[in-house]
Amino acid sequence: MKKNNKPIVIDLKNLSKRYDDEAGVYDALKKIDLKVYEGEFINIMGPSGSGKSTLMNIIGLLDRPTKGAYLIDGVDINKLSSKELAKLRRDKIGFVFQNFNLLPRLNLSQNVEMPLIYKKLTMRKRKEKVLEVLKKVGLEDKIKNRPNRLSGGQVQRAAIARALINDPSIILADEPTGNLDTKTGAEIMNLLKELNRQGVTVVLVTHNPELSEYASKTIIVRDGKITEDAKK
Amino acid sequence: MIWQNIKNAFISIKSAKLRSFLTVIGVVIGVFAVLVMIGVGDGVKKDVGGEISSLGTNVLTVASGRIGQSNVQTQNSQQQRSGQFGFSGGFGTSTLTQDDVNSLKNISDIDKITTFGIISSSVQNGVYSSPGAFVISAEPSYFGIRNIKLSEGREITDTDNKDKKYVAVIGSNTKADLFGEEDAIGKKISLRGKEFEVVGITKKSDGGLSFGASSDDVVIVPYDTGSELTGKNEIFRILVQVNDANNVEEVKKAMIDKIKSNHAGEEDFSVLTQDELLGTFNSILDILTAFVVAIAAISLLVGGIGIMNIMLVTVSERTKEIGIRKAMGATFGNILGQFLTESIVISLIGGVIGVGLSYLAGFVIVRLTDITPVFSARALIAAIGVSLLVGIIFGTAPAIKAARKNPIQALKSL
Repeated sequence: MKKNNKPIVIDLKNLSKRYDDEAGVYDALKKIDLKVYEGEFINIMGPSGSGKSTLMNIIGLLDRPTKGAYLIDGVDINKLSSKELAKLRRDKIGFVFQNFNLLPRLNLSQNVEMPLIYKKLTMRKRKEKVLEVLKKVGLEDKIKNRPNRLSGGQVQRAAIARALINDPSIILADEPTGNLDTKTGAEIMNLLKELNRQGVTVVLVTHNPELSEYASKTIIVRDGKITEDAKK
Repeated sequence: MIWQNIKNAFISIKSAKLRSFLTVIGVVIGVFAVLVMIGVGDGVKKDVGGEISSLGTNVLTVASGRIGQSNVQTQNSQQQRSGQFGFSGGFGTSTLTQDDVNSLKNISDIDKITTFGIISSSVQNGVYSSPGAFVISAEPSYFGIRNIKLSEGREITDTDNKDKKYVAVIGSNTKADLFGEEDAIGKKISLRGKEFEVVGITKKSDGGLSFGASSDDVVIVPYDTGSELTGKNEIFRILVQVNDANNVEEVKKAMIDKIKSNHAGEEDFSVLTQDELLGTFNSILDILTAFVVAIAAISLLVGGIGIMNIMLVTVSERTKEIGIRKAMGATFGNILGQFLTESIVISLIGGVIGVGLSYLAGFVIVRLTDITPVFSARALIAAIGVSLLVGIIFGTAPAIKAARKNPIQALKSL
């Protein structure tokens, strides 16, 4: 294992997640340990029901672990209120979803600036930033378009722009190519790879083994455990 | 943030125009109904207030029963209750007598004094009648005290009264009802089957509503003639004109003492200044207005429930949006604010349209009736305030529901 001197962005320590509801008790994650360093491109793979989604939700600060610790940029999330968690999510996580999840009633600019509104930035600063990230993904000429006027690839690029707008610690991409054809999917993956080369940490969640070639590290989740830690 | 929420609210309202329109209607109707009712009530009050104060501040009215007394104590509350209306006093048999009138004549500061009674009778000239006319019997000084001016003919004289002549002064509207454009002086009208000669016609007043005996819709006959006609000597009111407005309180006290001693020490009557008379009338009108406004306010409640209903639908429809926003870092408060703003905006739009419509209705009411509705700034601010409140009250539950949504579940929804 190559020694990595870069700071640790995601640090999961002995982390477990148990669901206890009408359906019964179910351990989705069992004592997971995982470290993601700044600038890495890691690929989390696993069949459905493996706990992959639960892991992604916890990394994305949408859910909390039942046991164990999760430090993001050194901050222990167990100590945070849900409001603080929401703010951390806003500042440190950029989500990219399989079905894009742009709001259809808003145009690209309004969609992309949304995290900045929650950060209470002035309109002028928001506009600057929106233009900057839309340029990065090559959509600066579509700024006033609504998502339904764009192709799937363009919408996903806009979603990536939205994920980038807060200069997050990680981009969490959940099956980003799942709703795209092969060619467009490759474009999106190349864009993520390019952003990673510029220094953005990417966590990719997928069940498509072909995408692992973009990643610097692939992790396989099975039955709530990390069973393989394949390195390139 | 607030600005963003308002912007989002308009985007959302615009994206479902028909639904938003239907939701807004409830509040529009509520605000409209409440404002028009208050406006009409205030309009009537203002007209009557003008009429009463035009009589002058130096006129006192003696009425049977206890009306509008500010020093009435009741068993159930030790508080003084002012402006209350004693209904039995207002409508029961009068306790005032001619002796009371005679004893008042001894008070030095009283300039003029008149009794007047009400005669219930139809007013007819052959086949024509004047249904709006109010028939009263009064002494000649009534004209001076109530400041009634004539356009034609003469007033009732002392001789008319003493000799119990069958003569009448009629109001300008009554004249128009009975005689149209024809000359009326010297013609006969009939009251309770007896013929009265028209000797005078009042000058048309400036318009507006009238309280009690308007000088436009009236038939005034000599007091003693009236007593003979009805076979009763019942005094409905005694009107007194004091020589100087500064002496009013003093005269009032003297009058109370005199009449009290006539009534074996019992204060079963009221001596009211014009202000008190107005207060009494206003208190009745306030009760009526409050009652009608309360009914109108129910439509506001229904409007509010409509908003709540639609907001609940909106929240479930936009579950996905809530999930996305939460993933982007929206807090509980952000989502709450967004949906609460939306319901407030809907409600305020309704309020503003309601205010606009009630103004339009005001013009229509002025055209079609004698009432000039008054839309006070207070009522307008209240209308906007109430619609704001409706938005908050009925928007809170849906907004909380939205803000509480679990982002993971919300993101999975369609």
